[in-house]
Amino acid sequence: MKTKIAESVEEVLRYIQNENCEGDVFGTRKSTARYAIMKGEIADSSEFDDIGLGIRVLKNKKMGFGYCIPGEEEKGVRRAVESSRFSPEIEIALPIEKRIHEVKTFDQGMEDEFHSGSGARFVQAIIDGVLSLKKDIEPTGGEFVAVRETRIVGNTNDIFLEENSTFVHCEVEATISREAGSLKALEVRNSRRFDIDFYQLGVEAAEKVDSMREPSPHMPRNPPVIIAPDALAQLLGYALLPAFYGENVRSGRSPYRGKLDERIVPEKLSIIDNPYEDWGIGSGGFDDEGVVGSEVPIISGGVVKNFLYDLKESARSNTESTGNGMRRNFKTIPGTAHRNILVKGEQQCEDISLHGDGIHVDTILGVGSSNPMSGGFSVTADVAWLLQKGENRGRIDGAMISGNFPQVLNGMEFGNDNKKTYFAVGRHKVIIELPTARLENISVIKK
Amino acid sequence: MQIEEVINKLGEEGAHYCDIRKEKLQETFITKKDGVLETVIQGEERGAMVRVLWGNGWGYVATSDFETIVQTAERALSMAKSNSKFKKRKTGLSKTEVCKEQKKIPMKQDISDIDLEEKILFLKEIEKSLDEPFVRSIELGYRDSITRKEIATTEGSHICMEIPKVFVYIAIIGRGNSIQRVLETSGSTGGYEVTRDLYRKTGIALEKLKSLLKAKPSPSGVMPIVIDPHLTGLFVHEAFGHAVEGDIVTSGGSCLEGKLGQKIASEKVTIRDDPTLQGYGSLPFDDEGVKARNRTLVKKGVLVDYIVDRENGWKLGLESNGGARAEDFRVKPLVRMSNTVMEPGDMTFEELVEDVKKGVYAQSIMGGQVNPAKGTFQFSAQIAHLIENGEITYPLQNVSFSGSTLNSLKNVIGVGKDFGLSPSLCRKPQTVTVSGGGPHILISETTVGGRT
Repeated sequence: MKTKIAESVEEVLRYIQNENCEGDVFGTRKSTARYAIMKGEIADSSEFDDIGLGIRVLKNKKMGFGYCIPGEEEKGVRRAVESSRFSPEIEIALPIEKRIHEVKTFDQGMEDEFHSGSGARFVQAIIDGVLSLKKDIEPTGGEFVAVRETRIVGNTNDIFLEENSTFVHCEVEATISREAGSLKALEVRNSRRFDIDFYQLGVEAAEKVDSMREPSPHMPRNPPVIIAPDALAQLLGYALLPAFYGENVRSGRSPYRGKLDERIVPEKLSIIDNPYEDWGIGSGGFDDEGVVGSEVPIISGGVVKNFLYDLKESARSNTESTGNGMRRNFKTIPGTAHRNILVKGEQQCEDISLHGDGIHVDTILGVGSSNPMSGGFSVTADVAWLLQKGENRGRIDGAMISGNFPQVLNGMEFGNDNKKTYFAVGRHKVIIELPTARLENISVIKK
Repeated sequence: MQIEEVINKLGEEGAHYCDIRKEKLQETFITKKDGVLETVIQGEERGAMVRVLWGNGWGYVATSDFETIVQTAERALSMAKSNSKFKKRKTGLSKTEVCKEQKKIPMKQDISDIDLEEKILFLKEIEKSLDEPFVRSIELGYRDSITRKEIATTEGSHICMEIPKVFVYIAIIGRGNSIQRVLETSGSTGGYEVTRDLYRKTGIALEKLKSLLKAKPSPSGVMPIVIDPHLTGLFVHEAFGHAVEGDIVTSGGSCLEGKLGQKIASEKVTIRDDPTLQGYGSLPFDDEGVKARNRTLVKKGVLVDYIVDRENGWKLGLESNGGARAEDFRVKPLVRMSNTVMEPGDMTFEELVEDVKKGVYAQSIMGGQVNPAKGTFQFSAQIAHLIENGEITYPLQNVSFSGSTLNSLKNVIGVGKDFGLSPSLCRKPQTVTVSGGGPHILISETTVGGRT
């Protein structure tokens, strides 16, 4: 039996054809369950079922957009046709490939749990994990979010691609309350599956805040920085990756313009966008424009190999879409975005934090003010500690770290761990799988 | 089924409290980049959220299909019942006036009367006035929306409101020794008349970019800083405002918890959050149906109030001051700011800088982030100027500054007599429209860190 969203997508395509247009439609139905943690207990829970249609029409080579909810398909198409009147002419070839990559994105086990409404059990395990370590450490905040999504892209070339996915995000903030201001640390996990050890997540948050009780005795001058995957992913996602978007390259907003096939970083470093990796957080068999691509090496062996393109930008840049046309939701138009980035380097065989001296930066603030056009960033190390011979020698308050890509990549070494990270701030979504790293070419300013 | 019938049914089933928030949103969004129209999108959506309190447990369920409102309400009730079993702490709601009112924020020029073509033409005119040889790229954006909300509660409140908003922006890019970008915005509740302010801002944007292209790298270290009204707005919103949001206070995540009645800032500092002021964060009622009102938060350096909704007001022993806002029908209301401003003082700009031996004058927002629990912040300015011996000397690029909120509030040693208000989006993690503003201020000590 066809789902309501599938019927709506077909309805939109019929209206587009009735208007003698080409076009595509992005339909999504997203069910979200969320539990909030506050002061050691489950504060509340919420659910929402979101359904909508993003419509694009191409009329006389002019492109128009509209969105609507099911039941208002005709209105939605009319809005898109009206907006197409003002568009410049553009030659866009909508995809014709009907077979999608079989990528594992849907966990039946999670679906079953989702319907049983048993999220509270997992949240309680996180809380218990935090409380298990020491009496004065409490879980003061956090959340557990489980999402089940059906995503459909259909177009007037008769493609109708449909994919189901699941996703779970959980985070917990462990706190030590003190007269002199409380100490806090956050632990985050993301996965497409229910493969998270919820209790252990709580334990790790508690251990992290426990390790920050004492301030560091001193601050070395220009120390190397050991940076946790979550923090490094934010820097890469905001200050580096947009510089590889085709539009930024074409319009001169990228320092990598003209550097295709040029070595920009050491040979050991590769950055790949692979949305076809099973269980990748950003994985999916097709992009939000219905393009079925292949993995895209951005930097391979230190050499710039590809820039990222959606359909519109590929037409403007006279190339092909790399399958990176994504929508933030059904209300927005498709644009270039990285999907499931993998950062690979020559990994150290041991825990990189055990290498000598430096500062360990766990959490950063202010990454949104980075400049992808120049690669520059200056952020506050919000949770950081001093390392001496691999030992945590106390927390560091109020340090700022600044640097510039790609110089920072030139002095980078990787640990032997790996973490799937996910952040969404505003219109930026960062999905990167990467290890802990040591950065040499970075400055640290401390009051 | 009518919204009130569903409410009554939930009441009959024994819910201790419930409300329904029904919303309809219409919007138009246009962007133009380097002479080419990139986005012209119009859309409409609607949906509703049912919120139920049973014992100490809350259940929130949202739907984009109003035909399923009865099932949605039943699901919210069963969720609240289930959550009440886990909840050990008591939950309650502060008392509030029962309102039955309809309010529309007026538009001098109704955005529904302006056709798409005219809105596109407006961007074309703005673009023309930015055509200078040193400008390499021009990005423009226009967004308007009308949100219609209906809120009904088991206590008998029934509110209908209509909130129109317009937001426009200019982003220009130039290339000197490095690539630099300047952003100017205008935005407010109201009608198409809001766009007029952008004509004035084209000249400001061009001047800023010209300066940035010959700017030098920022110095680093601890030094005094003068910030402009945009950054004062960012400072009072991000560094201070989040720490007085009731939910952050009651969760133990605020450096201002337990500090009501205490001196937390210099005597020169008075801060308020006012949804009745015309700005991008204005609203007649909050999303619990409580009438919007001005909230003085700091008076001459003393913390006198928090921003609260009904639940967090109850926890803190305060009446709700209308602080509940939700991004849309999909999500529950959180405690949020509206238009947050520092009151002007009596100093001229010259008086603010005259005693600064070496410092920075930072202007316009590039970005920022805070940790309200630790009371730390990090902000970046689009452009800055060095201050040497009381004189503004050369322009600086890539200036960031960070510090402790409480120390910085105490270190406000000069407050200007001017005033400016800027629109922005606040993410907590839901996104709502807000304004922040105030005068130029002088902070005696902050950590400045430039990008390499």
